[in-house]
Amino acid sequence: MGYTISLTGNPNVGKTSLFNRITHSLEHVGNWHGVTVSEVSKKIMYDHNEINMVDLPGLYSLTVYSPEEGITRDTVLRGDNDLVISVCDVNNLSRNLYLTMQLFELGVPLVLVVNMMDELKKQGKVLNYRKLESGLKVPVIPMSAKYHSDVHLLMDVSLDYVSNYKGNEIKLSYLDKLPIAQVREIIAENLATSRLPEIYACVKLLEKDEFVAERLALTAEQRRKLDLLGDWQSKVAQVRYEFIDEITDGVIVKDVTDEHHEMHEHIVHGVPIEDAEEKTDSLVDKHRRHHDKHKEKNKAYMQSYSRLDKIVLNKYLALPVFLLVMCGIFFFTFGFLGTLLSDLLDLFFMKCVYTPAVNGLTSINAPEWVISLVGEGIIMGVSGVLIFLPQVVLLFFFLALMEDSGYVSRVAFMTDGLFRKIGLSGRSVFTMLMGFGCSATAVLTARGLEDETMRKKTVILTPFMSCTARLPVYTVIASAFFARGKVLVIFGLYVLGAVVSLALSAFFEKSVKKLKSGKLSFIMEVPPYRMPTLERVLQILFNNAKVFLIKVGTLVFALNVVVWLLSNFSLTEGFAPGGDGSILAVISGFIAPIFKPLGFGSWRAVTSLMSGLVAKEVVVSSIESLGGVETLFYGEYASINALAFLVYTLLYVPCVATLSAQLKEVGAKWMLFGLALQLVVAYVFALIVRLIGLAFIVAPGITVSVIIVTIVAVIVTLVIINKVKNRGKCSCGCGGCSAPCNKKKDK
Amino acid sequence: MTLMDARPDCVYKIISTGGDGNQKRRLLDMGFTPDCKIYVAHTAPFGGTILVGLRGFMVALREDAASLIKIERAD
Repeated sequence: MGYTISLTGNPNVGKTSLFNRITHSLEHVGNWHGVTVSEVSKKIMYDHNEINMVDLPGLYSLTVYSPEEGITRDTVLRGDNDLVISVCDVNNLSRNLYLTMQLFELGVPLVLVVNMMDELKKQGKVLNYRKLESGLKVPVIPMSAKYHSDVHLLMDVSLDYVSNYKGNEIKLSYLDKLPIAQVREIIAENLATSRLPEIYACVKLLEKDEFVAERLALTAEQRRKLDLLGDWQSKVAQVRYEFIDEITDGVIVKDVTDEHHEMHEHIVHGVPIEDAEEKTDSLVDKHRRHHDKHKEKNKAYMQSYSRLDKIVLNKYLALPVFLLVMCGIFFFTFGFLGTLLSDLLDLFFMKCVYTPAVNGLTSINAPEWVISLVGEGIIMGVSGVLIFLPQVVLLFFFLALMEDSGYVSRVAFMTDGLFRKIGLSGRSVFTMLMGFGCSATAVLTARGLEDETMRKKTVILTPFMSCTARLPVYTVIASAFFARGKVLVIFGLYVLGAVVSLALSAFFEKSVKKLKSGKLSFIMEVPPYRMPTLERVLQILFNNAKVFLIKVGTLVFALNVVVWLLSNFSLTEGFAPGGDGSILAVISGFIAPIFKPLGFGSWRAVTSLMSGLVAKEVVVSSIESLGGVETLFYGEYASINALAFLVYTLLYVPCVATLSAQLKEVGAKWMLFGLALQLVVAYVFALIVRLIGLAFIVAPGITVSVIIVTIVAVIVTLVIINKVKNRGKCSCGCGGCSAPCNKKKDK
Repeated sequence: MTLMDARPDCVYKIISTGGDGNQKRRLLDMGFTPDCKIYVAHTAPFGGTILVGLRGFMVALREDAASLIKIERAD
C-alpha cells in the first residue's frame, strides 16, 4: 500500500530531525526558524508499504504570513495526505496544540507526536499522555531525539491508525461558541465550488483570513454580511485556547518517581501504563496544594528565561559577548587550528601525491602535456582547494552550533532595533549569518521573511556576506603577501562585507523608493538554549565535509581541466605551457584592461575571477593551475594589488548557484540589479583600497591622518543629521507626539 | 496599561489584543489571548524590542506590537 504522510508543527519542534531519522537522510536542521523552506519529500519502504514522507516548514497557524508558511498550508489543504503527523514540543504544549486544533478543524487524519520529552524529564516532570489521548481522541506518541526514541513505534502506530481511520472522533465543543452556522449560510454556494472543508473555511473567515476569502471568491455583499457578524478574531483564539487548556489540564505533572519510572519503562521497553489515579486529600491539604501550585505556576512561567540569557542579553554584556563569540570562531577557524590542519594537508598533497605522480609520469616518459595536465592542472588545482577542507568544515560547524544552540535567535533579538532603522529586521540576521556559510542556501531561507521588500533587500545583500567558498582565496593570497597579518586581513574582509551590506541597506532604505521597507512589525519566538547531541555534531561535520568534497571532486575538478586546457594551448602553437599566448589569455585579455586601475589587469587574474562564477573555490584552483599567486601579483606594489584583488573577490558577483537562488526568490529584474550592484560596488571599493594603499606606501603619515579625519567627519555628520531629524520627535518609539513623553518611564 | 509599561519582575494578565486584522491575528495565534498570563523577560540592548514569556515559551516583540497588548497585574 502507498501512503503520503506529512510532518507539520510549529518551527523548532524537531520535525526535520524526526524526518531525518525516519528516512535516514541528512537534511539541514537548525534551532532557528526558517531552515526548512520548502517541501522536502522522500519515499521509504516500511513494512511492505511505500510511504512518501513529507517534511514541511514550521508554522503557528494555518493562516500564514510568509511564502514559506504558505507552502505548508497549501500542502495540507491539498488533501492528498493520508496522514498528518502533528509534532508538538512538550515544553509549550498549549501553543503547539493551537495548530493541531486547526488541523482538526480542517478534518485531516492526524496523530500527535509530543517531542523533546528529555527536556521534560530534566525539569522533573512527566507527561500523562494517556490523558491527552483521551482528550484528543487520536494516538499520542511521546518522543525524544536524545533518547533515540523508536521511530518504528511511531510508524507502526501511524500506519495502524491510517488503515483503520474512520474520521476524527474529537468533539470540538468550542465551535458551539462561534457563529459557524451563520457564516455557513452566507457562503454556502462558494463552499460547494471551492471544495474547501466547511468548518475550516467558516472559522478562518471569522479570523479574517484573506486567503480563504479569496479562495471562496467572496463578493462585496458577502464580505459586508460577514463584517456585520462582528469582530470574532479574539474570540476564536480564546475559545481554542480554553479548549486546549481543558484538555491539557493535569497532563504534565511534577515527577512522582513511580510515574517517571513507569513512563521510562513504557518509552524504552514498551511496558503498558495504568491510568493515573486521583489522590484524595483533606480539604486543607487541597487548598494548600492549590496555592502552592499557583505560586509554582508563576515561577514556572519565568523558568525558561535561563541564567545564560541574563548574561547574553544583558545591556552591557550583550555586545562584548557577541564580539567574543564571532572573534572566537574566527581565530579558531583561520588562526591556529585551521591553519595547522590546512598546512598538514598541503604537505600531504605535495609529498604524497604531486611529487610521486610527476616523478612516476616522468619516469615512464609520459609526454610533457600529460605531466602538466596531471601535475599542475589536476593535482595542484584541486588540492589547492582541498586543503581548505578543515577550515570550511570548521566554519560551517560553528555556524551550525550557533544556530542549534539558539544563540542566533538572541542575536536577532538584540539587533532588531538597529536593523529596523536600516529597513531590515532581526530575522534577516539568520539569513545573513548563514551567508557566511553558503550564500545560495542563505538566499533560500529568505523565504521565511514576511515582508516582500525586506525579502528583496535581504536576498540582494546577502552575497556580500563572504561565503566559505571565498575563504581559500583569502587564505592563499593573504598568506603569500601578509604573512603574520593574515588573520587580521581576513577578518577585515569579513567585516568589510558585513559593513557594506548593512550600509547599502541603510542607503536603500533612505533613498531607493522601491526598496523601502517602511513600518513592519516583528514577532519572533526565541527557543530555549539547547545543546546539540554528539550525534548531531558529527552529522553536521560529516554533511558539510561531504558537500564540499563532492563540489571539489566534480565542479572544481572539471573546471580546472578546462582552464588548464585553454591556458596551455594556443591556437597557433598547440601545447604552449606558461600560457601567455594561449586561447584563454586571448579571451580574458579582452577584458583585462578594465582591471588595470585596480592593479590586477592581467589575463590570469581575470580568468580566475571569471571562473569564480561557477563556484568561488575555483578562483583559487585557477590561480594555482595558472602558475600561482606570484604570476598574478608582482612588482613593487604586489601586496596592494593583492589586497585590491581580495576586496574585489569579496564583493563581486556570487556563484551561479546563488544567482539561481536569487532568481527563484526575487525574479530576474532584481537578480540582475544585484549583479550589477555587486560589480559596481566591488570595483569602487577595490579602487578605493588600492588608492589608499598606494597613498599609504608613498606617504604614510598623510594618508593615515586623512583617513582619520574623514572617518571623524562622517561620524559627526551622521550624528548631526540624526539629531536634526529627531528634534521634537517622541523618543520612546511610539512615533506619536512631539510633547514630552508621558509614558511610564520607570524600568 | 500595555505590555510596554510592564515591569520585568511581575506576572501580568492580558486583557485584550488590539491592532489591525493581520497584526492582531498574528499575536493571537502566538498565544496573546485574553486572560493569558505574561511577563517581560528583557528589553533589547539597543532598544525597540522586548522579550516576553507566556504559555511556557518566549517571544521577541517590537514595541509597536507590544503597545497593542493591554494588560493588568495578575497576582
